[in-house]
Amino acid sequence: MPSRSPEDGRSGGVPATAPWPPGPDEFRAIADSAPVAVWVTQLDRRRSFVNRAYVEFLGVSYQEALDFDWREIIHPGDVARIVAESIAGETSLRGFELIGRYRRKDGAWRWLHSTSQPRWDTAGNHIGFIGVAHDITEAKEAELALREREAQLSAFINQSTAGFGQVDLEGRFTLVNDRFCAIAGWSRAELLGRTMQSITHPDDLVRNVPLFERAVRDGTPYTHEKRYIRKDGGIVWVNNSVSVMRRPDGEPFGVLAVTLDITNRRISEQALRQSEETLRLAIEGAGMATWELDLATMEGAWSPNRFDLLGMPREPGLRGTVEQWFARIRPEDRERVRITTQRCFEAGEPYAIEYRIRRADTGEERWLQSHGVRIDYGDDRPSRFVGVSFDVTERKRAEEELRASEARFRTIFEQTNDFLVTTTLDQRLTSVNPAVLAALGYTEDEVIGHSIAEFMEPDHFVRSRAALEQKLREGGSTRLTVTVHAKDGSELIWETNSHLVYDESGNPIGLHAIGRDMTEAKRAESHLRLLIDELNHRVKNTLAIVQGIAQQTFKGGSDPVAARRAFEGRLAALSEAHNLLTRELWAPVPMSRIIGDAVAPHGGGAGRFVIEGPDLILAPKTAISLALAIHELATNAVKHGALSQPQGHVAIRWERIDARGGPRLHLTWSEHGGPPVAPPSRRGFGTRMIERGLSAELGGSVKIDFVPEGLVCTVDAPLPEVPE
Amino acid sequence: MSARRRILVVEDEPVVAMCLEDLLESLGYEPVGPASRLAEGLELARTEALDAAILDINLGGERSTAVAETLAARGVPFAFASGYGSPPEGMGDRSRLIGKPYREAEVAAMLERMLAG
Repeated sequence: MPSRSPEDGRSGGVPATAPWPPGPDEFRAIADSAPVAVWVTQLDRRRSFVNRAYVEFLGVSYQEALDFDWREIIHPGDVARIVAESIAGETSLRGFELIGRYRRKDGAWRWLHSTSQPRWDTAGNHIGFIGVAHDITEAKEAELALREREAQLSAFINQSTAGFGQVDLEGRFTLVNDRFCAIAGWSRAELLGRTMQSITHPDDLVRNVPLFERAVRDGTPYTHEKRYIRKDGGIVWVNNSVSVMRRPDGEPFGVLAVTLDITNRRISEQALRQSEETLRLAIEGAGMATWELDLATMEGAWSPNRFDLLGMPREPGLRGTVEQWFARIRPEDRERVRITTQRCFEAGEPYAIEYRIRRADTGEERWLQSHGVRIDYGDDRPSRFVGVSFDVTERKRAEEELRASEARFRTIFEQTNDFLVTTTLDQRLTSVNPAVLAALGYTEDEVIGHSIAEFMEPDHFVRSRAALEQKLREGGSTRLTVTVHAKDGSELIWETNSHLVYDESGNPIGLHAIGRDMTEAKRAESHLRLLIDELNHRVKNTLAIVQGIAQQTFKGGSDPVAARRAFEGRLAALSEAHNLLTRELWAPVPMSRIIGDAVAPHGGGAGRFVIEGPDLILAPKTAISLALAIHELATNAVKHGALSQPQGHVAIRWERIDARGGPRLHLTWSEHGGPPVAPPSRRGFGTRMIERGLSAELGGSVKIDFVPEGLVCTVDAPLPEVPE
Repeated sequence: MSARRRILVVEDEPVVAMCLEDLLESLGYEPVGPASRLAEGLELARTEALDAAILDINLGGERSTAVAETLAARGVPFAFASGYGSPPEGMGDRSRLIGKPYREAEVAAMLERMLAG
């Protein structure tokens, strides 16, 4: 107790002039550190000091705490008593205590236990009180709870329908409640002079005594039903739950029976059976079949519709066996049912199971759901297994259909190559299918819950956001092409189609999107674009060549008919070279093919040409120039040279010469067996084409010699490196 | 003959180059070249006395940009020739582009503009 008597103050060796407090500061420090409220009052009841805990309890300033009327915060249920006790205490000029509820600053009612002691000055005059208050709320609440439990318990024992009869280890009654007396039909005084054996029906003692002796010996509790013989000679059936009472050291000192009067239950068995029948009808009306199985004989009563459920004829006695039932269970389910029933039979576990049967009559498969319990009697009557079954085939089928449908959708979700994505309305991913994860290289954890913005080009996300807003405004679906970032940094182009998902009341709750990888398609598209550009270039280039050929062929002064024929021949040569290049997809082509194709229109197939040389490869552009040059030479040979005579022929030979500075091509065109050759008066397109065009193209020298025995054209050029 | 303006021809297609040469001659210019390869074009651009140049952008896979740079350094005006597209990056605009196939009027006008400027 933190309160201090005047004697304590004096014996503390404090100077007589200031016996109490020892010093304002010191007293304040001590008082403020105390977890209890402390106050000091004057004779006029005004407080001259309160400590920190006092102030904190009130939640006001120090000055307000000094003036505070504490009666204002006493619980209405306590205020009259406390005020009265307080006045009495003060008047007595002795220490006094108050216990009651006071309102703390937070509004909570707290139980406070205050102790007030009178203060005396050195002359022995009463000068006021000093008080201390403890918060005892927790202790008080615990006490109240305990008291409540105690009251409940005693009420339960004294007013309950249960009788309590306690006997010593020999069976002599030591304690009985009113209810037990009423049930047993003896007064308390009469019972306390008797043993429980003496009032138990002799027929029941045979079972009762061994159970009682075992309980005393081993402490085994038991429940049984037996008869008491009342003082008036009447019989009362009771259900007793019996347990051993022990001293704190564990030594048994008595046996307690909690006794229920079950005479009425036994008497009204007939009525009960009737109500059971009613219940059974109700159960069967609800499609439930019932059974009772005697676990000693493994047979029992079946409700008529249990026979119907199994497709069996109703037996005249409406009884069935476990074997009959098991025979109907589908072999795949039989073991499972056997194990479950076994647990119920042996361990008393509640029985609940779904299994398939095959109806005895139609052979149809049906699903049954069954619930059962083991009923024990605590006496020598055998336990029974009772329960209900009902047909759940339709529900099972619906479930299976749902499961199959779910599985189908799941299969689609998991196995499609398209990307399936669901998001919240703020575009956070809620699910993605494996195709998404495979394409992006992320695990599910790395994407679920994340915003789609993390996986997208920023401006594409802005477009996606805008598309979402459009859908929220107008409904429908939107298509977008977006660039998506895979984990490895690669960019994928996805074409997505998304629509809103709505809840049952029509509010949008999220987004479903299906996406397709267009990366390859887009690549193909840009490749095609390149090809078209290239084609455009080639077409323009070819037209430029045609323009050049036309310009050269139709120079002023030439014979129109001959010029047209020459033009056609040149175009044909150009076209032939293009054909070859097109066949080879503009890849480098072998020289023999170029030359062979170029001379073919001029009797190339009739043995007029000798074409010999290694299989050198020419770039497409070089091939065109060479083809045009050979065409010019062949045209000239047919018109004026060796091929104008039946016996004339042309030899085209080339070789690869490895010289310093790289390999060189050496090619000769020589005509034989033609008329004597004279140099032409002017060099036409053909000659220029050959000498200048080809040499420029090949980067070497091309020379035409008008040798009288036959024209010779010599080509000497570096062999161009042909890119593979 | 020395009074004729000298025009460099860089064109990798022999027939087209010949055609352009004839065209230039008929317009009263003296063609220089033709150069069908980049190295050849650079050599001529560096060494020949030139009044202007017509450069095919594509030279068998190479681009004639370097020739243009050499000419620009010497203050020789030039025009690009192409069947499509635009002049190489940083090499002037479409106003200095001659379309292919060559048309006499277009080539003549371009040369007059270049030589006047």
